[in-house]
Amino acid sequence: MDLLTTSVATVESDSEPYTLVELTGEADVTNSDALREVLDAEVAKQPRTMIIDLSGLRFMDSSALHVILRANRVMDRQGGVLALACPREPVAKMLRLTAADQLIPVYPSVSEATAG
Amino acid sequence: MTESAATAGVFRHVGFFYRTAKEYATTVASFLAAGLAADEPAFAAVPAGNVSLIADPPGADARHVEFKDMTQLGRNLAWSIPLVLGFAARHAGRQIRYGGELIWAARRLACPLLVADGDAGRSPEYAGPFRLPSSRSHALPAPPQAATIHTYRTDLAQVRALVLQHAMEAGLPDPRATDLVLAVSEVAANTLRHTPSDGTLTIWHDLDEIICEIHDDGVITDPLAGRRRPAPDAHGGHGLWLVYQVCDLVELRSGGTGTTIRMHMAIRPPRPLG
Repeated sequence: MDLLTTSVATVESDSEPYTLVELTGEADVTNSDALREVLDAEVAKQPRTMIIDLSGLRFMDSSALHVILRANRVMDRQGGVLALACPREPVAKMLRLTAADQLIPVYPSVSEATAG
Repeated sequence: MTESAATAGVFRHVGFFYRTAKEYATTVASFLAAGLAADEPAFAAVPAGNVSLIADPPGADARHVEFKDMTQLGRNLAWSIPLVLGFAARHAGRQIRYGGELIWAARRLACPLLVADGDAGRSPEYAGPFRLPSSRSHALPAPPQAATIHTYRTDLAQVRALVLQHAMEAGLPDPRATDLVLAVSEVAANTLRHTPSDGTLTIWHDLDEIICEIHDDGVITDPLAGRRRPAPDAHGGHGLWLVYQVCDLVELRSGGTGTTIRMHMAIRPPRPLG
């Protein structure tokens, strides 16, 4: 089994559809290139909203963080919004210590992220 | 206690040892007062219990001194550096004064000047600004024979699993065990990023602490690598920053034989300040 699995869906909602990326497993320097490809491909479709569901992520290192920060910069430029949802405590702590949570909104759940 | 005072654009960094509370209060309060008299913003990071010693003497105008409780920062000296840099940045272009009381008296520190009994003399350890003192290049004591040694190249998940397993066996409580896992994984990730060869993870513990060491062929030339807070959207630099933030103590040696980084975590809570 792969260390990190990603699944992407376009979710229809009451307002407008959003892109939901679910990360499961452990995201580190050994799979950050693969993660970059997945996020780049989705960002290139210029969604208004992209939510990354982190609930299945047991571990995230700074390489994965940089990939997410990069996606956030491009989303920003395109006038879209990237949000993170449901990080487990080790991942949430890492987002706080790097102050990444000041740049990218972090919500306790996907539904709160869509409402955000 | 170390104090920094800049005069006319000059950076001065003075270490001060004290025997009595009175000696402490007089010296630190007058250091800060001289700064305030010269309209220099003053900042003191000292144990909360010592604030009154500095603030209470007659004539001490502590209202204009910014205080931070060093016991809140105390586990790791690296935590105080971003605070001082932040204070300096808020007063950019001005002379500032900073008094910081470091926690572990036994820890070796390198200050340019040492003050004892009122006399300042040059510290033999000081190698100049932006240079590591010679003690930073001295070899670390060898790990014990019983230490676990693991060679890795790309399997960082295995590195993390090994660290977590040892942390649990050593009795490191969980939030700190996952902190140690993050720190070791970040350092091991640097092996993959910056060197073409294997890295070595060595783990050992005693009743007081667990230590994880990573050695690889890389070289770190910046003595402040990981000590400055990276901008949140920086393209790099978060890895070592995280290592310094989550560990109790980080020892770094880098030179001709590669880089060794030792990450310490106290198994029992750190002793309160004496």
